[in-house]
Parts: sequence; structure tokens; C-alpha cells
Amino acid sequence: MSNKFWYLTKQSLRKKIKSKWFIGVNIMLALVIIALININSIIAFFGGDFNEKTRILVVDKTDISFDVFKQSIKEVTKEDDDENLVVKASDKTEKQLKKDLKDNEVAIVFDNDEENFVTAKVISKEKIDSSTYQYISQGLNSTKTSVALVKTNTDPILLAKISSPMTTERIVLNDKKSVDENMEMVMGSLFPTLILPFFMLIIFLVQMIGGEICEEKTTKSMEIIISNVSPKVHLLSKVIASNLFIIIQGLLLVLYSVIGILISTKGHLSIDPNVDSLLTATVESGFLDKIITLLPAILIMMLLSFLAYSLIAGILAAMTTNMEDFNQIQTPIMLVLLAGYYLAIMAGMFDGSVLIRILSYVPFISCLVSPSLYIIGQISMIDVIISIIVLIITILVMVKYGLRVYKVGILNYSNEKIWSRFAKALKSKDV
Amino acid sequence: MLQVKNIVKYYGDNKAVDNLSFEVKDGEIFGLLGENGAGKTTTFRIIMGLLEATDGVVLLDGHHIDYSITDKIGFVTEERSLLTKMTVKEQIVFYGILKGMKEKEIEKELKKWLKDFQIESYENRKIKELSKGNQQKIQFISAVIHHPKLLILDEPFTGLDPINVELMKKAIYKLQKEGCSIIFSSHQMEHIENFCEKLIILVKGKPVVDGYVKDIKKEYKKKNILIRGDDLPLKELEKIKGVISVTKQKDEYEVKVEEEKIAPKIFQKIKNYNITKYDVTEPTLNEIFIAKVGEVHE
Repeated sequence: MSNKFWYLTKQSLRKKIKSKWFIGVNIMLALVIIALININSIIAFFGGDFNEKTRILVVDKTDISFDVFKQSIKEVTKEDDDENLVVKASDKTEKQLKKDLKDNEVAIVFDNDEENFVTAKVISKEKIDSSTYQYISQGLNSTKTSVALVKTNTDPILLAKISSPMTTERIVLNDKKSVDENMEMVMGSLFPTLILPFFMLIIFLVQMIGGEICEEKTTKSMEIIISNVSPKVHLLSKVIASNLFIIIQGLLLVLYSVIGILISTKGHLSIDPNVDSLLTATVESGFLDKIITLLPAILIMMLLSFLAYSLIAGILAAMTTNMEDFNQIQTPIMLVLLAGYYLAIMAGMFDGSVLIRILSYVPFISCLVSPSLYIIGQISMIDVIISIIVLIITILVMVKYGLRVYKVGILNYSNEKIWSRFAKALKSKDV
Repeated sequence: MLQVKNIVKYYGDNKAVDNLSFEVKDGEIFGLLGENGAGKTTTFRIIMGLLEATDGVVLLDGHHIDYSITDKIGFVTEERSLLTKMTVKEQIVFYGILKGMKEKEIEKELKKWLKDFQIESYENRKIKELSKGNQQKIQFISAVIHHPKLLILDEPFTGLDPINVELMKKAIYKLQKEGCSIIFSSHQMEHIENFCEKLIILVKGKPVVDGYVKDIKKEYKKKNILIRGDDLPLKELEKIKGVISVTKQKDEYEVKVEEEKIAPKIFQKIKNYNITKYDVTEPTLNEIFIAKVGEVHE
């Protein structure tokens, strides 16, 4: 029986890996991942530039605004590590500037004003992107203040003190939530990216195991298979094969990412400044520390979740008699998964809510919600362990009652509604 | 030898099989007949070990059917049970390994069977690319590749033309000679008459006819008399007590009578006419089937 089990597992895995679907999807995934990592080079190749610098050409009729403005821009962009704004003085007239202005240039004309000390015209060929405009606005406001102080003969030492950035010290009183505001950026940008492959792999898993069982049922080959191996062995072989398959798929995603990074850095592991700033924020926020602490728990939870999803997909697929049935049973699984994904991304919005804490224990979504809540400091490691225990209990219950449904379901071709068949199989004594 | 002893199967309150017993000796071909929903599939599933009987036992060579013995059983299902995306070779290897065979042994056997069925060139073709008849041959090969001790054939000739029916019949007789016990189910009664020595007819899970085909026919009182002649007194024949019907069939008449002793009375009526044929025959299995199944429904 053990030989038949391994043969079925091997056969199922080989069938998935050799399928045109798998090859096609992986070619697409490899291209998309590598392209996304190298998007700067691709845009540059087609004449664009992600890192294109915006030149701010300043015509200063006040004689004192340019230096102040340049300094202000330097200060505001420094906070965000944005080095794409270059401020330069221009000796052209406003008319000439308007005539010669390029796409990546913004002209600012400072002029004296009796009432408001200084006014500015911001001239560009196209719309300015919102972040650049925000920097310019901040710079202009700051310039106005400084010019006003100079024009009102404020002491230069005092003026320097007024113009210098605020000295701030950041203190978080709640030690348990020792997370700074960088975490919001990390949770908003990095975390969804990290859990997206996991989300995708579960979708693959559900479709793979369900589709295969459904195919064996609809072609009636199930009767022949089940007459030679027990339903338990059959289901187990499908579960193992599907889980091995998505682990392979997961490793392939990592491989495509590494290839993408190597291409992007041309073999040298130097890091793009944008990525570098995100990594810095990630390290500073404590995200990496949390992830590393949580890694064993995350891995256990991921594997258990794969197991749980494959079991439920297999059990439900056993009740199907055609592909429409299978699509019908897939929908609730997908909705639960989607709910988990969004809850994980929006976890920060439920600060202190008991509901989100309870949801982090719910099997099938705990794998997504728990790590997210732990990282933002809303739950502790104990809660994560409780989620794992709940998941293990769920799997055991599914094995006990699910096998009953599976054994009855795989040979049931009645025209009854699928959920009614499911309920009957659950009550069936024919096991 | 297969022994089915007093099996009963309930689905909820519905009795699908009602106290069914029969034996199929080694090298015997046994017919299991019944209208749709009579309990044949349930019986097959119980024999295959796919379902547990509510009561009764099934023994193959004296052993209860479980996963240690199902390797000795082959099953040709009524609907094709093939994974159509596989090639012929992949499919047969898949089922063969599930029957406990080694891959090399399967490949060797497959070549022989493909040759017997004159489809050697299809070994690496996908099943979905084959005609229905050829798919049926592959289904048959997948069920017998391991030389089963018990073979269940549920409508094995579906989709086959007369030439291929003969090829499959040959294959079935070959297995019979090897000592394989064969259960044969079909709605085409002429196949049953050709193949089976013994049979059971099920109605609502209960056997209504059971025994050797020749005995069943003999015991069935109604007979058919085939007459060929000119200007026969058909109206007078119809009036004879015990005559059920007189119908024209091509160039002769078939007179159905309630029992064999009516036959001389028929002969008396027509002996002075110009007759070239007078033949008292057994009823066909088809007639017996319709009559017996009909009786229960009435």
C-alpha cells in the first residue's frame, strides 16, 4: 500500500509539474517578477527615467530668496531621502524661461511685494507630480518666512535659529508597542508584497487539488483508483503532492526574484537607493527583528495552513460531479482567503480591537492575520501559538470528519445540491 | 471462485440490494442483469470493496474482499473511466501499478494486448484523441492488464463495431480459459445469451430469475412457433385458446403461445396448407427479461 501511496503522490506531482498550465504560468511569473524588479531599466530603455531629476530654475528678483529656497528644499527632501530635486539659479528672463523650459524643469520666479514681502510664480510645461509640488510649496512657505524676517531686520543669529529644522526627540511611552511610525510605511508597502505570494500559492493549492480530484471523479476513473487504494491513502497522496507542488512553486518565485535582482544589479549586489531607503526603514522600524523572531512560527503556520486548505479543498472537491460544482465550492474558500488577506493588510486600523484579536485565532485566516498583528505589536507570541494550536485542532477535526465525507463523496454522483450531499455524507454511517 | 452470500444494502431507508446470493466459479461467465436502478452498480461496488454491504458477505477464493485482494479484480465500468489527458501507455501503467504490477511488466503486457486489439500504433497517443471504440478497448486492457482472478464487465461492448466486438469476445474467452471468473452485465441480451451459462435478473435489488440460461429458457412456459407458408389461416390461429399473438416477421409468422402443448393444435390448423417451415423455439432472453421485469412492476 505504501508503494501505491508514493506512486500516486509522485504521479500527481509529476502531472502538475509537466502540465502546460504550470509551464505557462511560470514563464509568465518569471517574466513579470524579473520585469518588476528591473522596471527602472525597462522604463529607461523605452526613453523614460524613474530616477529622472527635476530641475528647479529660480529667477530671483528679490536677491535674497534663492539661497533660502535652495536650503529649504534641501531640508524638506532630506527628510524623505529624495535627491531628485535640483535647485539652480537662472539668469534668464521669465519670458525666455517659458520659451526654453523642458519637461523635467520647473521655473520659479521670486518677486518683491510690498504687502506680502515676496511672491512666487511656479511655471512648468506639464502638471507637476504631487510630491514634487508638495516639496516646492513647503520650500516656498519657508522662504517667505525667512525673507519676511530679513526684511523686518531680524537678528541674523536669531534668523538662523528660526530657519533651522526643529530638534525632535521621539518617545513612545507604551513599551509593548515599541514601533515607530516607519512601521506604517513597512506594513503599507512591504507586508502586502510579502504575503501576496503566500496568498497566490494557496489559490494554486486549492485549484490544483480540487481540480485533480474533480477530474478523476468526472472521468469516473475514481472508481478504479478507489478500488485499489483506500480513500484515506488517495486523499493523503493528493494533499502531499499538492503541498510539495506549492513549496516548489514558492521556491521558484524566490528564484525568479533572485534572478531579477541579479539582472538589476548586473551581478553585483549593490542596492538601488529606493530599495535601500525601504530596507533602512524596515530595519529601523523593527520589522526585520519581528519577522526573524516570528519566522519559525510563520513557517509552521504557513505549512499548517497549506495542509488545512488542501484538506478542505480535497474534501469539498470529493462532493463535486462536474466543474461547475467545483467552482461553486471554490468560492467560499476564496472569499475566506481574501478576507484574511485584507484583514492582514488593514490590521493597523483595528488598533486595540478585541475582534481582530479573535480573528487572528480563526483557522484559514490566522496564517495571514496573526503575523501581521504580531509585527505591529497588537498581539503577543502567546497569541500566535494559540493560533497554531487552533489550526492543528482544526486539521485533526477535518481529518476525522472530512475523511468520512471524502469516502462517501468520491463515489456519489447524485443530482442533489452539493451542500445537501455534503451534509448527508457527514451523517452517513457508510464508512 | 466468487461467492456472494445474502447481501443486503440499504441507502437510508431505500433497499438497493435485497438478499442477493450467487456464485461464479473459476472460468465461468455469469450474467447480472436488471433494468436501470435495479442494484447492479451497487452490487458491483460491494464486490469491488468500494461499498460495505449492510448484511451478507462477499468472498473471493474464500477471502473477504479488502484492499489486500482487490489487486485480483478487474472492472470495466459502464461509463469510460479513463483519464483522457494521459497517453494510452501512461494510463495503463497508472492503473497497472495501482494493481500492484511493475512498470516493465505492464509495458510488456500492454504490447501484447495492443497487438491483439490491432492498435499497436496508439501506444503513445493521448486517450482523448482516440475514437470511442478504441477508448473502450483501452478501458478493457486497463481492466485485464494484471490478469485478474475476477473480471467485472459492465456493458463492455459499448461503442464497438461488430469486428471489434469479435476481437473483445476472443479476449474474454481467452481470460475465461485462464480461469478468470467473469461477471457480465449488459442490456444487449444477445450478448448475454452468447456468453453466459448462468445469470440473475435483478428487479429493485431482488433476484427474480436465477439459474442456468438453458434451464431458465426451458422453464419459461411461453414458446414461439415460427411458420412460413402461403395463405395461412391467421384469424383462426388467433382464436385458438392459449395463443397470445400472431405477428408477421419478414417472410414468416411468429405465433406466441402460452405453453408448449398448444403447438400441436396450431399444427393441426395449418397442416393442409402449403407450409415450408414449422419450428417451435425457446423464447429469447430479451422476452424473458421484459416479461419478468414487467411482472414485478405490475
